[in-house]
Amino acid sequence: MQKEESTEKLKWEAWAERHTDPADVRKKDEALEGTIVLDLSQGNFAGLFCSSTLGEFGAKVIRVEPPGGDVARKFSPFGLKVRDTGFAYIAEARNKYHITLNLETEEGRKLLASLARKADFLVETFPADYLDRLGVGYRQLSRENPGLIYIAINTFGLYGEEAAKGRKSSDVVAQALSGLVNITGQPENGGPAEHAVPTKHGNWMAWYSGGGFASFAALSALHFRNRTGKGQLIDVSEAESLMRFLDYNCLWYHALGKNRERVGNFDPAVFPYTYVSTRDGYTFLAGFSDINWFALTSIMGDGELRERFPSIFERLKLDNEKQIFAALEAWAKEFTSDEILAKVQEYDRTVGKGVVATGRVNTPEDTVNEENWWKRKVFKKIIDPYYGEILLQMPPWKMTETPPRVKTVCRPVGADNDYIFTKYLGIGPSELSSLKEEGVL
Amino acid sequence: MNPVAERTVARNDFFDFTKALFDLKKVFGKPEALADLRVIEFGTLFLGPVTSTFLGEFGAEVIKVELPGAGDTARSLTPWGQFWKNAALSWLSEARNKYHVAIDLHKEKGRDLFLELVHKSDVVVENMRAGTLERKFGIGYRQLREANPGIIYAANSGFGQWGPYTTGRASYDAVAQAVSGLASITGFPGHPPLKAGIWIGDYYGALMSAVSILAAVNYRDRTGKGQFIDFSQSENLIRALDWTWVAHGQTGKDRERYGNRDRAIVPAGVYRCADGFAAISALDDGEFRGLARAMGKPGLSAEERFATVEARLVESHADALHAMLTEWAAGRKVAEVERLGAENGFGAAGVKKAEDHYRSAHLRERGSVWAVDDAIYGDVVEYGPIPKMSGTPGRIKWAGKPVGYDNEKVLAEILGYDYLGIKTLEEEGIIGKWANVMGRKPPEEMLKEE
Repeated sequence: MQKEESTEKLKWEAWAERHTDPADVRKKDEALEGTIVLDLSQGNFAGLFCSSTLGEFGAKVIRVEPPGGDVARKFSPFGLKVRDTGFAYIAEARNKYHITLNLETEEGRKLLASLARKADFLVETFPADYLDRLGVGYRQLSRENPGLIYIAINTFGLYGEEAAKGRKSSDVVAQALSGLVNITGQPENGGPAEHAVPTKHGNWMAWYSGGGFASFAALSALHFRNRTGKGQLIDVSEAESLMRFLDYNCLWYHALGKNRERVGNFDPAVFPYTYVSTRDGYTFLAGFSDINWFALTSIMGDGELRERFPSIFERLKLDNEKQIFAALEAWAKEFTSDEILAKVQEYDRTVGKGVVATGRVNTPEDTVNEENWWKRKVFKKIIDPYYGEILLQMPPWKMTETPPRVKTVCRPVGADNDYIFTKYLGIGPSELSSLKEEGVL
Repeated sequence: MNPVAERTVARNDFFDFTKALFDLKKVFGKPEALADLRVIEFGTLFLGPVTSTFLGEFGAEVIKVELPGAGDTARSLTPWGQFWKNAALSWLSEARNKYHVAIDLHKEKGRDLFLELVHKSDVVVENMRAGTLERKFGIGYRQLREANPGIIYAANSGFGQWGPYTTGRASYDAVAQAVSGLASITGFPGHPPLKAGIWIGDYYGALMSAVSILAAVNYRDRTGKGQFIDFSQSENLIRALDWTWVAHGQTGKDRERYGNRDRAIVPAGVYRCADGFAAISALDDGEFRGLARAMGKPGLSAEERFATVEARLVESHADALHAMLTEWAAGRKVAEVERLGAENGFGAAGVKKAEDHYRSAHLRERGSVWAVDDAIYGDVVEYGPIPKMSGTPGRIKWAGKPVGYDNEKVLAEILGYDYLGIKTLEEEGIIGKWANVMGRKPPEEMLKEE
């Protein structure tokens, strides 16, 4: 208690660092301690990311793979692997116990049902009615365990006219359906060009968004269960998850009949707010509201530009955006991105009227090499006893009481069969080996 | 009954079950997961505000505190400056379900009101620069937890509450996209990096901030303890870059821009068709056999270079396949590609635009496109709550409102002020309403009525 009081005089940043530095996380509580997640997802990083998140907050995650392993273990740039597993799976296997079950066998389904009786969450990404047809879907499992929170992730959902068609999906399919691809990228200027097309996100943005909404729903449902004891069925589409981030697109069409179009690195609703070329790459610059426009044009030393486009609404006209953009680029190309940042910070320190946000467009390597992220413990190199040294991105939350954490990196297919089946179902080594011979595990 | 018939019956039955279970007409008859939570939001633009929007869609009572007059800058953000009924389009959509209160926090009495609200709340969300609420207003986490020891306080920012980038650096969505590496890996090789067409750092950031708030709520359910959450949208995007960092650790090489191709799943990409664009993918060997069949080249899946997931990922094999798919897709219409995908079991979908969403019976039935009969704005159609929860479904109750619209309701209901007390606060300038500016004021018809 004495120690606690002594930090109260610290400056805010110092206090925040003292109380949320991930270095101390091991000694603190976990928000979801005592809960169990069964993750049955296959070939789907929305499911994997959902259980990663729950696991980072302290849930015990049991990954259920088919006997040959989840195909997601094979998704990797140019097919590269660490031992038996691709890079993408290594990133989302954190904290998870790995067991195998062949759900096409009667015995495999029985074992799943037994585990589900003890679980708080079940995550699956199969075709909508697949597990129900096998007799281990929500209807059957929730009879035995009414508190079960069952999360089905499916691009076309569990209901709606597209749901029963058995359509296949992937991250890129979900991105296309979301509407995001349509409005990302360079517009066609004077004829088709290979790069001036609707463009997908480089990362699996739909899968991560779907996994995020799945975690959101899972934790909302858990809070409801704390009050009522009731579980429920949750239906998450990765396409709709990403679509939800499209903001006014739908309403614009409804209200004014407009479809949003691609505008490259411009923005229809906020400007200047764009990437510009600098002497050594690209950087972001913004000065949207009048006071921030004042700050930006002051840093540029260009009062004339300020006067030419005096209001937000003047600056939001596409022709004017182009003129402002040209002026920004002409100025920025004289400096490196870091020099521009230094100018912005200098202005902030000395004048401070209005705020300019800036930031170099980093390649991943630039990001890895920036000291800031290492100080914030955003990255960590962890030695895994089987996979060796792995560079991992850490959970993005710093919390005073229940900080999330990464305890283990990855496990080979079925590596935790002994432990999990013994602990939860009392199945010992001899029975396990016969189950294995029968093709159940 | 033969196995095939049995399968068909089970199938129909399942979808009847889900259709009835999730029926939109039943939504308002069901409870809300977060109905026992009150959230105070002092946020601007999207990273903070959308966090509480997501909580509000699932029942939290969200009180958005703005400064009287101009309110949140987000009220100006509307495409090409086009306002509708005097409101910004993004505002109507994202300020949904909230109570809108305008309090002048520069005044001591205003700060007292804020503290009284926090005393009766569960969660506080803000997205000012690190330490602003404490230094400028004296109502940071350390002060608020004295007013309410169980409070859960989420501070959303670009770079976090501490560390080298905390001072002198503001952030926006597109800064997070830049510094995280996301923009750099989006777009085509040989062309500039690309910003997303949306504020992905803010929206996806808001979602993941809400996830941590809910984790904290569940901890509080067990222990009664509140806590402080430091959330950086840049770090959140770094977290979402899938295999980027593992790959860097293993190979020491930088991830590049790969245009519309996925280099970790082959084939997967966006292709130009005769009348538009479509995404095409095959995640496993079964799906690839289906695609090869649809392409009229069933033999492809038997060729050694394409027979397995691993073989297709080899760069030269992937390039060859990409060339074949490019040529094949160019000769087909989007609808045909979608149909072939459904029939042959591979991933296929057209690149959709807002109009497609608006007209989709599927999305309407799911409430992912949601029509609100709004007291102020009339018929409003916008994207609805996304996770579908059978027991506690999300819902939209109303669209965003003008500055200070709910002052009276909140001060009376929650803080117990009577009519005269509220009028006094108004006269003293402690609380206030909208300035006569687009995005802040009600629609013209309502102004005329007053």
